[in-house]
Amino acid sequence: MARKQRDVLSVEWVKLELLRTAYATRGGLMSKFDPRVVVAWYLVFAVVPWLTHNITTLSVLFAVGALAVVLSRVGPLVLGLFIFGLVTETAYIFAVAWFFDGDVQTVMALLTLTLKLGTVALASMAAFVSLDPEKLSDALVSMHAPPLLSFGVSYGYRMLPIIMEEFHTIVDGYRLRSKPVERGFLGWRIPAAVAFALVRSFYPMMLNTAKRTRTTVEALETRGFTFAGESKAGRSMRLAYLRLGPRDAALVAVTVALVVGAFMFGQHLPLLSRDF
Amino acid sequence: MTAVIAIDDLSFRYPGADQPSLRGVDLRIERGDFCAVIGGNGSGKTTLCKTFNGLIPHFWTGEFTGGATVDGLDTLESSVAALSQSVGYVYQDFGNQLVRPTVGTDVAFGPVNYGLADFRERADDAMRVLGIDHLAGDYVWELSGGQQHLTALAGVLAMDPAVIVVDEPVAELAPARAEETYRMLERINRERGTTIVVIEHHAEFIARYAGSVVLMAAGAVRWHLPVREALARTGELAEHGIPSPQIIDAVSRLAPEAEVPLNVGEAKAALDGLGAPGPVDRRPAEASSARPIASLTGVTHGYRDVHGRLSKVIDDMDLTLREGERIALVGSNGAGKSTLLNLLTGIKVPRKGTVEIDGLDTRRARPAELADHVCYLYQRAEQMFLKDSVREEIAMFPTERARPGTDALVEEILDRLRLTEMADRDGRTLSGGQQRRVTLGIGLATTPALLLLDEPTSSLDVGTRADVVAMLAALAETIRCVVVATHDMHLVAEWADRVLVLDSGRILADTAPADLFDDPALLETVGLVPPQISALGREVGIHPPPLTVDEFVSAYAQAPVGGR
Repeated sequence: MARKQRDVLSVEWVKLELLRTAYATRGGLMSKFDPRVVVAWYLVFAVVPWLTHNITTLSVLFAVGALAVVLSRVGPLVLGLFIFGLVTETAYIFAVAWFFDGDVQTVMALLTLTLKLGTVALASMAAFVSLDPEKLSDALVSMHAPPLLSFGVSYGYRMLPIIMEEFHTIVDGYRLRSKPVERGFLGWRIPAAVAFALVRSFYPMMLNTAKRTRTTVEALETRGFTFAGESKAGRSMRLAYLRLGPRDAALVAVTVALVVGAFMFGQHLPLLSRDF
Repeated sequence: MTAVIAIDDLSFRYPGADQPSLRGVDLRIERGDFCAVIGGNGSGKTTLCKTFNGLIPHFWTGEFTGGATVDGLDTLESSVAALSQSVGYVYQDFGNQLVRPTVGTDVAFGPVNYGLADFRERADDAMRVLGIDHLAGDYVWELSGGQQHLTALAGVLAMDPAVIVVDEPVAELAPARAEETYRMLERINRERGTTIVVIEHHAEFIARYAGSVVLMAAGAVRWHLPVREALARTGELAEHGIPSPQIIDAVSRLAPEAEVPLNVGEAKAALDGLGAPGPVDRRPAEASSARPIASLTGVTHGYRDVHGRLSKVIDDMDLTLREGERIALVGSNGAGKSTLLNLLTGIKVPRKGTVEIDGLDTRRARPAELADHVCYLYQRAEQMFLKDSVREEIAMFPTERARPGTDALVEEILDRLRLTEMADRDGRTLSGGQQRRVTLGIGLATTPALLLLDEPTSSLDVGTRADVVAMLAALAETIRCVVVATHDMHLVAEWADRVLVLDSGRILADTAPADLFDDPALLETVGLVPPQISALGREVGIHPPPLTVDEFVSAYAQAPVGGR
């Protein structure tokens, strides 16, 4: 079979998709708000689903999450993984319910949990695909997160492309220097060889990455990061640009309205709700 | 002038080390100086420079005696944070000192941390001085090496320090980019009066930019002299692994009584009295009709970037590489060199056109099968290390393929590359030159028809570099065709017999090294800096220009002396 250059479903594509997601290159609705409001918005949707068992309410929240995902232009890789997870989860629920002689009630009980997890997942996709590392770490700083945490977050993003580059190179090294894989029955040896190479790549990748951080640690010292942890002046200067505007207030209002609406709708039209 | 750095009888030993890294160092660097620190590997250059900003002894603790005063601060009594406001440090692996996602925020990182209210102006100013203000919003991982180096320098400059230390700028940068960095350093030095300290192996840059030179040997300062005096001591420099610049060598051989020249113009003036040189005796290159090892037909390739745009890297290229050729692939960063090498390995297949290696279409064969015919050695040796020892690393390929006689082959390669002693060590713990030899070993063990090397001489000191060049020359016995992608024009001059000049995905020229260096317009277009001896050869009227000092000197020997 002739090989060709692929633009999707290749290692290169996965790399780019992760970068696009992490660095919020696609823009989208949520990226225009103050990062603190976006983080708060996410926290609302991460907590609220756990306060109810009402399937109607949960469905509305799920729908809001899904809408936010669409407006935030979440990329195909992350979305694909989510949908794959959701579909297999649903299949699993039915299988389990059937196996343990369950009925509709059992399915509904399990579905409740799926809806909750799904809503939280949707909200986190919408929020984090919209926050680039600068904004996220500034939001954390302004919310009085420990400086090491907020720096860790932005440095983690900084390392992401480096780690992926290292990993890709090492995997390629294995491809070239290992013996050509025979296909085996239904080609089972190919995924097996890929899995082996992935596991084996981990150790060289970590070593190569760790060596790079020696300079980084020194540079942090000489560029005053430790010093900044002890003084407050830098913090307020860095955050001076963060300002809440009418747009942010509108997002808060719409969010509150939607959440309250979801609960009221759930009260009004409970669907197969149960009492615990 | 007053001393901005004053060091008295300073000694330092890392914990657990047998020998002190610095012993009895006495040094005065004047304010506003442009000082080059030279010396062989392990002579204590970097350790010395890390005492300036207090990393030694505050961050790396050890046995510290004597004293150092930098910009009026006693380093033993001041913190790294306080000293760092006076001393900026640009690392050899500068990419790792960039810690923020975007250029603008990274440059402002220092001033913000120190709570300087005018941080924005400082950052903008530093970026403007270095000509990278248009990159402020870019992510640091999108930048080229040269741009990253300038960003690191801007981050340091934004603090407006009294001293800037730059550790081996040429090691990881293309010469044209390094030239740019040096020009910027010179400007900062001149306009702001900032003292510049560079650790440097390349005598050419020292000659053109430095004001004074510090020679380090075995942890002590051997001498600190004005640049001209320092470079005149050619024998002593060579002893410490710093061969003198080619033009100084040539002038000292032809006109021993002349003053040491610091640039090509001065060298030409020094040789004026010798009369006109003759031509260089060189066999003309003939068109090769040897068997093709690799061929590209109408190849076009490109990548998608993070914004989804397709950028064309190789544009409709036709090329044949033949048996027995030593090919240098040159061109600026982003010209398509790495992509071309990747296409030749079959790791990537072209979007259009065909690539054939040893008669195999790369589209029809898997990379693991092509690996029997072609081997690619990465620029960063570490990235090739997959095993725990040098021996396993070299043996991996033939063992995996169960080739007969593997053990004997591995032993022979270890012996040939002088690696037997370290055969059981982890490759990652070796020095740069040793690592390069290990990757050559990996290449030899695959016994390919075509060997591809990416920047085999980058970040090597001059002694190790000569070693690698000699080994490349010896490869011809076993490998049918070798391609080297490089910025190192000395390597091109000494080793290659065919040069491919790449620019924006096209082959701009397919020529011999001497012809390349005889074409200033072409060199300018692709940002290449010819070896000084070739430039001097052109200046004095030798066409095609000489590639080595020996050729240059022999051209004078053949000259019709006294206008005969």
